[in-house]
Amino acid sequence: MVTVKINGKEITVEDNTLILDAARDAGYEIPTFCYQADLMGIGSCRMCLVEIEGQKKLQPSCVTPVLHGMSINTDSGTVQTARAGVLEFLLANHAMDCPVCDKGGECELQDMVHKHGPHKGRHAEPKFKFHDKDYVLSPVIIKNSNRCVQCMKCVRVCREVVGQNVLGALGRGDHQEPTSFFRAFMNCEMDGNCIEVCPVGCFMRLPYRYKSRPWDLKSSDTICPYCATGCRMVIEERAGTLMRAKAQLGVGLNSETLCARGRFGQDFVNNPERINQPLVRRYGKLEPVTWEEAISHIKENLTALDGDKIGGIASPRLTNEELYLFQKLMREVLGSPNIDSSSRFSPDAVEGFVAATGMGEGGVSVYDCMEADTVLIIGTHLSDENPVIDYIVRRISASRRMNVIIASPRAMKLDSSANIVLRHNVASENAVLTSLVIGLNEGKLADTLKGMHEAQLDANLKASGVSADLISTVVNRLAASSSIAIIAGTDFLRYPEGISGLGLLKDLLKSRGKKVTVMPVLDRANQRGAWEMGVHPGFGPGYSETRKGLGTEGMLDAAMKGELEALYVVGSDVASMYPGDDFARTALSKVGFLIVQDMFMTETARQAHVVLPGAAHAEKDGTYTNQEGRAQVIKKLLTAPGRAKQDINIIRAIGESFDRSFGPKHFALVLDEIRKEVPSYADVSLSFNNKRNTDNKLDNRGALVKAAAAPAVKVKSFNPASVETSGARFILTTGNHLFHSGRSSMKSETLLGLLKGAVVEISEEDAASLGLKSGEKVRVKGANFEAQMTLLTKKGTKSGVAFIAENFDDAPVNRYFRRGGGIPRVDIIKTI
Amino acid sequence: MEKVLLKNLGKPGSHTLANYVASGGYKAFSTALKMKPDNIIQMVKDSGLRGRGGAGFSTGLKWSFIPKDPTLQKYLCCNADEGEPGTFKDRGIIDHDPHLLIEGMAISCYAIGASKSYIYIRGEFVFGAERLQEAIDEAYANGYLGKNIQGSGFDLDMYVHRGFGAYICGEETALLESIEGYRAQPRKKPPFPALAGLYGKPTVINNVETLSCIPAIVEKGPEWFSKMGPVKSPGPKIYCVSGHVKKPGLYELPMGTTARDIIYNHCGGMLRDGKPLKAFIPGGVSAPLLMPADLDTPLDFDSLAAKGTMLGSGAVIVMDTSTCMVKTAYIINRFFSHESCGKCTPCRDGTPWLTRILKRIEHGEGRPGDLELLDGVCDNIFGRTFCPLGDGAVMALRGALKNFREEFQYHIDHKRCMVS
Amino acid sequence: MSRKGFDLFDLIKKVLFTDFVKGLTVTLGYNISKSITMRYPDEEKWIPYRRFRGLHTLNRDENGRELCVACELCSKACPTGCITVIPEENDSGRGIADRVAKVWTVNLVRCLFCGYCEDACPTRALRLGREYELACADYSCTLMSRDQLLVPQPVPESIPGGYVVKSKLERTPQGIKVTVDLSKFKKRSI
Repeated sequence: MVTVKINGKEITVEDNTLILDAARDAGYEIPTFCYQADLMGIGSCRMCLVEIEGQKKLQPSCVTPVLHGMSINTDSGTVQTARAGVLEFLLANHAMDCPVCDKGGECELQDMVHKHGPHKGRHAEPKFKFHDKDYVLSPVIIKNSNRCVQCMKCVRVCREVVGQNVLGALGRGDHQEPTSFFRAFMNCEMDGNCIEVCPVGCFMRLPYRYKSRPWDLKSSDTICPYCATGCRMVIEERAGTLMRAKAQLGVGLNSETLCARGRFGQDFVNNPERINQPLVRRYGKLEPVTWEEAISHIKENLTALDGDKIGGIASPRLTNEELYLFQKLMREVLGSPNIDSSSRFSPDAVEGFVAATGMGEGGVSVYDCMEADTVLIIGTHLSDENPVIDYIVRRISASRRMNVIIASPRAMKLDSSANIVLRHNVASENAVLTSLVIGLNEGKLADTLKGMHEAQLDANLKASGVSADLISTVVNRLAASSSIAIIAGTDFLRYPEGISGLGLLKDLLKSRGKKVTVMPVLDRANQRGAWEMGVHPGFGPGYSETRKGLGTEGMLDAAMKGELEALYVVGSDVASMYPGDDFARTALSKVGFLIVQDMFMTETARQAHVVLPGAAHAEKDGTYTNQEGRAQVIKKLLTAPGRAKQDINIIRAIGESFDRSFGPKHFALVLDEIRKEVPSYADVSLSFNNKRNTDNKLDNRGALVKAAAAPAVKVKSFNPASVETSGARFILTTGNHLFHSGRSSMKSETLLGLLKGAVVEISEEDAASLGLKSGEKVRVKGANFEAQMTLLTKKGTKSGVAFIAENFDDAPVNRYFRRGGGIPRVDIIKTI
Repeated sequence: MEKVLLKNLGKPGSHTLANYVASGGYKAFSTALKMKPDNIIQMVKDSGLRGRGGAGFSTGLKWSFIPKDPTLQKYLCCNADEGEPGTFKDRGIIDHDPHLLIEGMAISCYAIGASKSYIYIRGEFVFGAERLQEAIDEAYANGYLGKNIQGSGFDLDMYVHRGFGAYICGEETALLESIEGYRAQPRKKPPFPALAGLYGKPTVINNVETLSCIPAIVEKGPEWFSKMGPVKSPGPKIYCVSGHVKKPGLYELPMGTTARDIIYNHCGGMLRDGKPLKAFIPGGVSAPLLMPADLDTPLDFDSLAAKGTMLGSGAVIVMDTSTCMVKTAYIINRFFSHESCGKCTPCRDGTPWLTRILKRIEHGEGRPGDLELLDGVCDNIFGRTFCPLGDGAVMALRGALKNFREEFQYHIDHKRCMVS
Repeated sequence: MSRKGFDLFDLIKKVLFTDFVKGLTVTLGYNISKSITMRYPDEEKWIPYRRFRGLHTLNRDENGRELCVACELCSKACPTGCITVIPEENDSGRGIADRVAKVWTVNLVRCLFCGYCEDACPTRALRLGREYELACADYSCTLMSRDQLLVPQPVPESIPGGYVVKSKLERTPQGIKVTVDLSKFKKRSI
């Protein structure tokens, strides 16, 4: 700790604190352009110059650490002149086209000149112009270098946070221009973080170009509805149209970063294809009706039914309140235990995963995971599925240099930040984890491990396809670390065999006295919330004991046998997500009464008897629980189109038609009931904590849910996943694409502009041996399905692995899978 | 005076190892290898050798900042990015006596414990780079470089790294960035390169001339060296004289020789009779110029600093009365604005602004108030830039403005030049 | 004045109706002075000074490109919020920049002609012109859009104004219309 004097005020701060941070702590604002807490300081903009007593020159406060006894003046006359001077220089070559510039009104340069600047210009010379017309850098970025202030934040965020390295600087001196390689069209992650950090109108959003002014926009602070990272963001609308989404510096776990889906994918809300009125099937056709008619039609058809013959599937994109009310409707009003929240993962796998990752033990912050000595990332393609977690790992590992171990069959961008990469076979997470367990065990067998020996290690190594050397390196690193964080992804739910391995490794490391934190990474915004609200056939709210029911699979089986008389689907597209060719479709057609509540006319909705128009995240209030177990608030900005209603109101209306006293009548009252019923949610509040923690970690630990009272889940063991034995060359694996998540992203115009048609991803070597090149059209031929798509090659992916994301309408990947069958094999043939 | 640095200049085949060894080369290296590294550092400290690159920092002191931890990789970088207009001393050594530099570097590496060294040579010195590479290859072949040199257990690798023509690479941290493969832009200091330099390891960066002094110090002892020239900055110095003198060129003289001595004695006087001296720049274009009244100032670090200018690289540029000072200031400023790296705002946007104003004045488009504007812009640049480049540009212009203000004013008022 | 005694002066005043004439001087003076009313709109029309703040007009530059860049500063400056601007991208050369107004409307019922919008305009595209015949029988004239405002007003900027010109009232099926002849004017003070 050192004591310094800032503007005469004595303060005590940590060693090596930057003068800038110290001054901000003391309450003095220092203007900056190039400084950003998460990026390496370069001290180039010279806005932050301060006067240090005893030093002749002014010093940049953003790179100068405090020394004991320093006396700093942040606001003296010299400092003010220096600031005005710097701003005058910046304006000297600035385009000054504020009326045209999209940033006008929220531009840092404007604000600073207004506050500190020279209010009279002296520069009367011709200006240097980089180019006449704005140029397009990527489908979402348009650039005007004439406005650049050369803070290089774009270049640094691209390198240090996103890890894409597509931006750099051309030229020298006043001709220096941060841009892509010779202004070429960029093929990058399109996450637009360069836009977000740009203080001026140099990098601009193409979809938002010339649409509005910042003062026209009404905004709402909310949570991204795509993956379960739970990024805080602000969505903004003008005249009922959602205009843009942006992140805020120093707020939320993501700070100023978002991924392509989060930043550009929110416009699905504006899609004209939204259903805007209730529809009821009459004489084989869906016809518009009023809400009263629709609800009474539902009541008529459900009243006489036995509860066990009714099923309910709710999407993990609904809020906690809606999910809670949904399960209450199903369990208490309709008397049905058949509730599920996923059409992809089996309820048993979910239960095992919940137990193995310790979700019942309360929330785990991602920043706590980053404090560990070793971070093991397994079962997820983090860079594509949860890009913001990828950014956090990259940024923190660059400065903390902890061990990062990645196990994945597919190459990912984060590999470059990893110390060890385990390229294992598809669905062999269990083999990898078990070999680690055996390796760590060193003969001191714990009870659970009795019977395991060297021969099994060999078998596991063979199954995983990872070399013994690599495993032993990982084992050594794990053994040497005192704290370990395991980031486990959705592949454990797809191939549940790995769950037992995960449980074993966790228990073993814990028994060695190590601190183990397990963080699940999920791909739907409120997946964890859905489970914690009890939208699961195996457990009730807060993982409590409940009457067991059927999951999606069981419900479809029952439907196939004609035993399911009614099914209520909220926001889920079972027909196009459930594995198996036409099974779900046929089963749904046999359901006696199918109610679908959704935003869009999905495959499932087309088969429905009643279609109820629901609302998007921007149109409702509520809470989401992200993968870490952080319950965060989403806030309403728009009203749902036409006669569409918030899902919570629809669920309540159905409930009320049976029981007048059903449900609390307002989402906040529902949350109150959740707080009472689910002890782990007792502290969840409806206000955001906007403060940066003192350790600069952007973490709001207060929002993490507490441990459940008595979680009724246990780690299970599963049969190994079998791979089809056809002679086809590639094993097909699936997951989310970088630009798409689930089905709603396929309704976003901007995201479709980034990627519309299906792509199949294989390794470079495989492509070379097949004589194929990246970007070529290929046919992907499976045992029961065949589709045409674009080939994408990736360096470093395991040979013999083909990846097709589960999102594309033109190549529904679920049709390659067979219900109850193993992992499919496919062949890739060049289209002639 | 016995020449130390330029002793082999002009001798045929002076660049070959054979001739170098024949004239007593690499003797100092062999002597040094038998000494303790700390003693060499002490010797250099005692000699009072100050860096010849411009800043004039004590070389021995710089070396002693390097951590003594033997497990740590250390680097020596030779700054041969000689870009200052008017300077051509390093080129003389590299082209004609590369082994002197190699020997100096080898001794320095031994002293600081560096096993890898880089010579960052200016991109335009194609011939120099080739000759240096030949010399290094020769030295490797003859066991002056490589593994276990002369059985002492000391390993040294030497690389020639060619720049791509950026003046800023002469700034030591920008030079390091450039070697690492990044954009040549200065790094923030601290950490100083002595603690975290090339690839984050302790690094010493010295000028060619500085390193070339080392063999002589080791061979003849620090006392011999410190007796040459003034007490505070002893040793031989190469003056690069250019401009309106009869015999421009490289002159190796003891530090502290007066300008009068150099111009009228060694260089044979002014070029044209009837055109007396108007002004001279004592140390490269970033040094403020001096007037004929200052001719008797000894050209060494401290005396020049007292006059408000600097020795810099020792490039003496002599101008007679036919020189237009506005044009000179414009050309010098144009150089700096072209070479500004673009990192910090005052230098990036300030120097081009100065150039635009000067260009206007020079072309007879000056406006009243331009001189005050120049002063104002200079004030906004000076002391607020990241590295000394911006300061250098301002100092040069301020010097011209201070001494020749009426000439600038004449340009603005009469839209034409005062001298022609 | 004394009540007693004869006053010749008084008599003369009575005979000559002096008081009567005196009382009528103001009236008679007006009778022969210039009339201050105008035969508007049948014969005359007042052309205001340049400083007059009438109907908004959107200007073009000398090449016929719209000066408006849809920066929305007018709508921001407007105290009544009567201006709506929606920008769009158009680099066909319609405007001076690639940003032009897709929608530019002013609600004249709300407008109080304060001229803040004119002051805020960075490109001098928006001016408050000298058109003041804004009345109409329905709501059609209360919302003026970009296309209507881009039509040059009958009184160009070049005319200093401050005088009366000859005018003619025409009755057309669309309504009444006042046409002016700017070449014939007379100076008048009001």
